[in-house]
Amino acid sequence: MIVLIGLNHKTAPIAVREKIFAGCQEEKDLFSHLRSLKGVGEVLYLSTCNRIEIIAGIDEPEEAEAVRSLRDFLAQNGGLTPTEAANCFYEYRGEEAVRHIFRVAASLDSLVMGETQILGQVKDAYRQALAQNATGVVLNRLMHCSFRAAKRVRSETAIAVNPVSVSFAAVELAKKIFGTLTGKKILLIGAGEMAELTGMHLISNGAEEIIVANRSMPQALSLAEKFHGEAVSLDALEIKLIEADIVISSTGAPAYIVTADLIRKIHHQRKNRLLFLIDIAVPRDIDPAASSLENVYLYNIDNLQDIVDENMNVRKKEAIKAEMIVEEEITRYVSWQKEQESVPTIVSLRNKAEEIVRTEMDKAAGWMQKLDKEEQEKVGSLVNSIVNKLLHTPVTALKEESSEFSSKDIVATARRLFRLDE
Amino acid sequence: MSLINLELISFKIALILCAVSTVGYLFSLLIKKIKLAKFSTWILAGVFGCLTVNLLFVVINSAGLINLGSRDFFSFCAWSVSGAYLALQFKTKTRSLGAFISPFILLFMIAAAGQDAGKSLLPQNLQSWLITVHLFLTIVGEALFVLASCAGAMFIIQNRLLKHKKLSRMSRLLPSLNDLDRINHICLLWGFPILTLGIFAGAVFAGFNWKTDWLTDPKIIWTFAGWIIYGFLLHQRLAISWRGYRMAVFSFAAFILLLLSYGSVRFCFSTLHNFI
Repeated sequence: MIVLIGLNHKTAPIAVREKIFAGCQEEKDLFSHLRSLKGVGEVLYLSTCNRIEIIAGIDEPEEAEAVRSLRDFLAQNGGLTPTEAANCFYEYRGEEAVRHIFRVAASLDSLVMGETQILGQVKDAYRQALAQNATGVVLNRLMHCSFRAAKRVRSETAIAVNPVSVSFAAVELAKKIFGTLTGKKILLIGAGEMAELTGMHLISNGAEEIIVANRSMPQALSLAEKFHGEAVSLDALEIKLIEADIVISSTGAPAYIVTADLIRKIHHQRKNRLLFLIDIAVPRDIDPAASSLENVYLYNIDNLQDIVDENMNVRKKEAIKAEMIVEEEITRYVSWQKEQESVPTIVSLRNKAEEIVRTEMDKAAGWMQKLDKEEQEKVGSLVNSIVNKLLHTPVTALKEESSEFSSKDIVATARRLFRLDE
Repeated sequence: MSLINLELISFKIALILCAVSTVGYLFSLLIKKIKLAKFSTWILAGVFGCLTVNLLFVVINSAGLINLGSRDFFSFCAWSVSGAYLALQFKTKTRSLGAFISPFILLFMIAAAGQDAGKSLLPQNLQSWLITVHLFLTIVGEALFVLASCAGAMFIIQNRLLKHKKLSRMSRLLPSLNDLDRINHICLLWGFPILTLGIFAGAVFAGFNWKTDWLTDPKIIWTFAGWIIYGFLLHQRLAISWRGYRMAVFSFAAFILLLLSYGSVRFCFSTLHNFI
């Protein structure tokens, strides 16, 4: 049986997650330790900034004990009391555990739904477990199915297509205006945190040069140093506006710093180049009348937030489709899992048949000696063929019945019918 | 199989592929899926390949392209526009431009299919290599202007969407403003000298062969007007730094104006270019 025990950003505060993370990091042979717990056959340890989870393949007779041991392991590493642990941990078994890990891999359980990092983190966790030989048939199949579900969600829905943060929305807009950001110059007016973040995203997307214009030069210098850019005072604003392609403004000034007249004045010197203005200051720094100028695209914080909200709604709608894909993949996995429950019985059945063939062939060895080698081989293959054909129907029925319904009844019947437990 | 048959087969395949590609492009715009536009671009590349084969057979069959058929003329128009569009794809990857271009290509193909096979485009007195060069360069030049205008139309739409602070699915599907402006620039930069050379080749032929007052021919005046307008636009772009929205509006307006005036000249006047 598959069991998942863990905690995430919804159930535990960051302080608790940090403690457990640190405790588990200190554990030298994490996987050996977990596998040494009674009843734990296979194990996978997933740790991201938002969640810590242990996924384990457990032998059913020792289920209760194994689950308790895993919970204790996490609680001890975080120094949690039983009450704290009860409040922070969640626990899923069987199909619920499968659903949870599929949703995690597909980024449906993430803090920012649809974010793309989580699949890589789940894959890394699986790689680590593989390297330690901590997984077996059940978890290997589970993880591969979860990757497939995540890939389908990514390719068949638009859940991860549109940005859901203001700074990424600004980057997307910049790309819609300039195509590529390579070689583009950014002018930061003011040294606000949001402007810095947006500037950073633009730089990581190819923008080459940052100019920081600020009333306080030391602050401008400090920010410019971060980006290896140029620091200027607000007096040089007009000249720098001529050079810039993207302007991000976030000062605390009470009046407009960039007026429509100023833009109009420098438009010819800019050779009518496209200009993207991002005004994230409140009160606004850039005159809204600039928006009506040719080749000028002005977005304020509300405009950007509207785009983010709209994208978030799209993600929510796409999540419904994604959940359906996850359910389809769960059905496939569960069907395979049920089929696996009949495998030991099928193996026993084949072994018994082979044993009967061997015994009967030994008995017939006396008269078979009279036959030449070729004839002996023909008799051997005839017997094997009859046995295989006889077994084909019950084996197929076992597999089909197990994958569609509960395997317990049909497996028990088959074992009784063929006396496999004697 | 004879060469004539191969010529016909390659044309028919190109026609079918062109229809599929156009439907694909338009559908991609409708359902706003760029993947479908990418797929349609590959089909259009197939159209270009088939038309190239078709035109090779035309060259072989007509011994030097002096006696150009009506069908071949329209096939050549389709070949030029699709070739110019595909060449731009290497530079800008603006697949959705195809939704604006492919209907033009399909119209050329339908016009070609409507022509009788073997019917000569040019009257006996115009069958000369100079006229073939004139036609080739003029068509390629005009094809580039068609592309410039389509890019202009798309720029106007994208500009409107971005000015209204909407990052809609349509906006995401359309190319960036900068790419569209670049297409407009490249097309004007190449289209104008090619058209100039085409007009020059025609003028040389007319100067030596036509005794009439061919300079006042309505279609020649129309072509000259187009040449002046595009020359003006290119001048404004290079010398006065017109770009972006203004350039898009002017090139689209110029195209519509030229299309309308071509229509009126074609149907209201008798010209020395009655064959086109």
